[in-house]
Amino acid sequence: MKKNFKETSKTGALAWLLQRISAIFIFAVLIYHFFVYHCISQGKAPEWADVVAKMKSPWFNLLQFLFLLAALYHGLNGVWMVVEDYIHSRFWRIFIFSIIVLVGTSLLFVGTLTLFKVANINPGV
Amino acid sequence: MDEQTNVKVKILRYNPEKDKKPFWQPYEVKIEPDATILDILNEIRWKLDGTLAFRRSCRSAICGSCAMKVNGRNILACETPMHRFKGRGLKIEPLPGFRIIKDLVVDLDSFFEKMNRVRPYLLLDKPIPDKEFIQSPEEFEEIREVCICILCGACTSSCPSVWSNEEYLGPAALLKAYRFIFDSRDDAADERIDIVNDKNGIWRCHTIFNCMEACPKHIKITEYLSRLKVKAVENSI
Ligand code: FES
Repeated sequence: MKKNFKETSKTGALAWLLQRISAIFIFAVLIYHFFVYHCISQGKAPEWADVVAKMKSPWFNLLQFLFLLAALYHGLNGVWMVVEDYIHSRFWRIFIFSIIVLVGTSLLFVGTLTLFKVANINPGV
Repeated sequence: MDEQTNVKVKILRYNPEKDKKPFWQPYEVKIEPDATILDILNEIRWKLDGTLAFRRSCRSAICGSCAMKVNGRNILACETPMHRFKGRGLKIEPLPGFRIIKDLVVDLDSFFEKMNRVRPYLLLDKPIPDKEFIQSPEEFEEIREVCICILCGACTSSCPSVWSNEEYLGPAALLKAYRFIFDSRDDAADERIDIVNDKNGIWRCHTIFNCMEACPKHIKITEYLSRLKVKAVENSI
């Protein structure tokens, strides 16, 4: 009996798989992120202008956006796991779930906004 | 006979008919230095205090009835020599996470009820053969280690996920599910995976490894449960 993932989202299989995939993705991108921002300017410390110049690339920004998405999902799903383990009252579950969704969407909004804003800055300034 | 030594033992006593809550009772036992925890408990019951309740049967680590917590670890009383806890006094308490019936005897009904939920017996679509089911050594190797579980409850009782959620199947029942899902003779793998692939099933396991440390048979429980997770995901896509 195969289940499709719509059903599976109720069981926890999908959440478990996504948590693993996002973990690997975050780990890989984090290393790339450190490499780009801390090693790229060969010897000298990277400056604000170097960072802004890098963030002009749409592909780089897309990666940054996916990184943001994965980190938020991974972290908040982790918090939700803890809630499912230790909180059994329906009221508190719904309450905390709402907070998690609120925090997730606000941080996603602020993060995306930052990506756009930085990308539109003139690196010479 | 070895010279006897004095051992200081504290036992968590509780008789729900008399006591409001469990309390520590100290004993001093004269016994051979190579005695097991079960020897000490017997000595107390036979000579010092006949009211002490505990379970034991085979006294050879086979029946699984003497699991208890000693100095913070779940062990089998009959196979654990007291010198394993050398230099310290002994603190003996019932398995955590279960209701205490009396002293070291806990209520294991929920444990066996969860075991039954995964249907712990061969389920077949094919007709039963005349002689025996043929299973290759390689096929048996898949489940060999898991088959030696003696249902003592030490793993399930050591699991924080079980402590926080009494609906969670727990490592012993999940391991039993593994034992049949990966048994080449069984035909009900899908049905069993559906049972364990549940919010209160395999996904409450967070690879804490307590079960593996507690298992007196040294079964790599966490590893098998991880394989079960992969199997559950494979079945879902
Ligand atoms: S008495 Fe049977 S396992 Fe200890």
